[in-house]
Amino acid sequence: MVKFLSEEWIEYGKRYIRSNLDPTKDLGNLTTSLIGVIEHVPPQDTTTNFYLELQNGQLSDFILSPGETITEKNPVFVITGTYGAFRDIFEGKVGTAMAILKNRIKLKGSKLEALKIIKQLDGLIDALRKVTDEFEE
Amino acid sequence: MTHHNLMTVKKTDMNTAVAIAKKGTHCGMCRIDFLGTGLCPSGRKHGFLAYWPQGRMELIKHLHDGTVQPTEKLIEIAESCSLCGICDKQCNFATQLRPEKVAQAIKDYVASLDKRTIQKVKEDAIITGLRQIVGEKWATNDPVIISSYVRSIIPPNVPLDFYVVMPETTDQVSRIVHFANTHNIPFLPRSGGTALSVASPTVLANATNLERGIIIDLLRLKKLEIHPESSTAVVGAGVTSFELQKETYNHHLRANVAEAGAHVCANIATTGIVTTWGNAYGCFADNFIDLVLVDNDGVIKTHHDLEITNPYSVDNGFANISLSPPYIITETTVKLYPVFADEEAVMVPFDNLKDALDAVLELGQRGVGLSLAVLSYKYLAEFICPTRQIATDFEDVCKNYLKLRYVLDVVCKKEDKKIVEDVVGYTINQSMLRTLILGSPKLASLKNSEFMKILSEEKDPLRAIFAGPMKKHLEQGLDATPENIAKVYDADLQEFFKKIYSKPEFTNVVWLHAFRILPSRLMRQRMAMGPGGAIWAGDKAHILKWIKMFADVGDKYQLEHALGFISPLDNGKFIYIEYDYFYDHNDTNAAGRISKTLLETTEQSLVLGNVFTLINYLFKGIYRKEHVLYPLPKGLTTEEDAIFRDVLHSLLGDYEEW
Repeated sequence: MVKFLSEEWIEYGKRYIRSNLDPTKDLGNLTTSLIGVIEHVPPQDTTTNFYLELQNGQLSDFILSPGETITEKNPVFVITGTYGAFRDIFEGKVGTAMAILKNRIKLKGSKLEALKIIKQLDGLIDALRKVTDEFEE
Repeated sequence: MTHHNLMTVKKTDMNTAVAIAKKGTHCGMCRIDFLGTGLCPSGRKHGFLAYWPQGRMELIKHLHDGTVQPTEKLIEIAESCSLCGICDKQCNFATQLRPEKVAQAIKDYVASLDKRTIQKVKEDAIITGLRQIVGEKWATNDPVIISSYVRSIIPPNVPLDFYVVMPETTDQVSRIVHFANTHNIPFLPRSGGTALSVASPTVLANATNLERGIIIDLLRLKKLEIHPESSTAVVGAGVTSFELQKETYNHHLRANVAEAGAHVCANIATTGIVTTWGNAYGCFADNFIDLVLVDNDGVIKTHHDLEITNPYSVDNGFANISLSPPYIITETTVKLYPVFADEEAVMVPFDNLKDALDAVLELGQRGVGLSLAVLSYKYLAEFICPTRQIATDFEDVCKNYLKLRYVLDVVCKKEDKKIVEDVVGYTINQSMLRTLILGSPKLASLKNSEFMKILSEEKDPLRAIFAGPMKKHLEQGLDATPENIAKVYDADLQEFFKKIYSKPEFTNVVWLHAFRILPSRLMRQRMAMGPGGAIWAGDKAHILKWIKMFADVGDKYQLEHALGFISPLDNGKFIYIEYDYFYDHNDTNAAGRISKTLLETTEQSLVLGNVFTLINYLFKGIYRKEHVLYPLPKGLTTEEDAIFRDVLHSLLGDYEEW
């Protein structure tokens, strides 16, 4: 188990997703991409970004960008929220759909398109939850 | 064990008090002065919900269950109640409950405590920070106070991991939101809390309530200014519909407001003020001129900002669901409307929905009436009858003897009354309505009587009793006096209610529509859930099909159910429909059936298409009706229905499907 939003989290996450999620069965051969913007990251109250991309259900890109905005990507969705909101999602306390519909995270992009892939998104979050249990307080 | 002490010392009293408390539904009528008694002195002074009768009723259940332990604040809560009896009068009018017994039981409980067991609540960094924003008195992490918010913003059965803060200004709200974000703590504003309490026993409890974090109780934002010269009012987030209307009426003006206990700003945020006055006064963003908002980043915005991007537009597809307000509205400027000297309330009885619907649509499209709606017999009975039992018998009389299933309900000017009479033939006037209100106990008692049997054999019992030869007998026979209706109340309250029903406004149907003190009776000692939404008025068959669907699902789950009301919007282009289901909120089986009913009716509505469901309505109130309602989403395809179910799974986790 590794620390949330660390480089190890990215590496373990990639490995876990690629070896445990079936591109067709679990990820519906989905092609999409998203940037997560995580604000108020403790202890320095900084912002961290990650970019995740799927091509036909295969994880093609998953990168972390602490402190710097990811400008070179053109994602389908941008989700923005506090560290606490993302922590609740990755700890399984709040589902992704719940976080969106309760305005805990802001969604840039079509809400309908996001909800269309909610099952696959929940699967990805579940997978990433398996590799991390270390969060900042 | 403190809990055991309590059970031995005051067992009967506590059990009685808990039984009373369990019947409470957080209608919030104890927080408005609708009877002219004044308000609970303790609640006014201390603010937090635990100091109000409503909060005490929630608190005592937690003390009884042992889910909270006594703290120093509990002593203050107990001692702050002077047993003045105001709450018994207010609650009795709406629910027939006696919350003063709850307050007495809490006093007895505190008196029986071993003072050494009383906990001192530790201050942490979060409460320190919140107190720096609002002052020492107005932020708390005391579990006794927090427990009083369960079921009206905190879901049942979650740890009491909360803070409650009561800001007084928009700036304080902004700073609280900043503070919460910086410390990564979820937050949710609370106003009247009734909408949240309706969701609380159902599968939506976790979806709409706050699972942990900071409750921002907006009660202290009490700014209220009436500007008669511009027919506007500036209203803070702590002001209720009743308070605004009362002040507005002092200037011979009227506001378009929700149920009496609802807070104006929160109601705008939630559903945009759904009323029977909507055809004349508007809906959604029609209701306000300006808003002061705090966004989820803590930034203060106003609608008159020159730099603001279009604040009125919103997606209108089926997936545009929100379960929390997009902003905290801290202040609004609302429109006010003239009160005419010749206004009158008239009702027209119908024995079938189709004819009632035809009439309300025609009048709506003609722009007739200030308030205009069709009510079911059940809605009418619940509103005007002083007790549940009388309402039940009154319904029986309406349904089985009078063949009265629906009433067209119009508040109109003199010239409009003539049009109503031309369209429908005859009306029940204000004088007869006063008779029905004061005579409701007597009319209900006529169930199974010879008089009712004879009446029911008439070809048109409604015409016979409201416009024919039997009208005079009915008016004389109902003994419709304040003295007689007061007799249904507890002996010690009868004199008080005689005085209340002697006040002209309590039998004035225009006043009752404007001040909306009667809808709380829908929630007396049980819960009402009222899904529905908006539908275009042009396809009557579609409307009737939609309403039948609600009835069929109610039958399927063996729930007590009936149409609530139908009211036109936007010059009769749309109608709003509320369909009500009633159930015992303490019965988990019934709550389960209500959950399925809510989900199933929502899904069937979305599949049916060309409707805007209540779930879609939520938190759209600040947008323009033109964006929200045009176009209405078409029926879900099979693929979209599968998405809908995926979203439900993601939202609700494991739940029992229908």
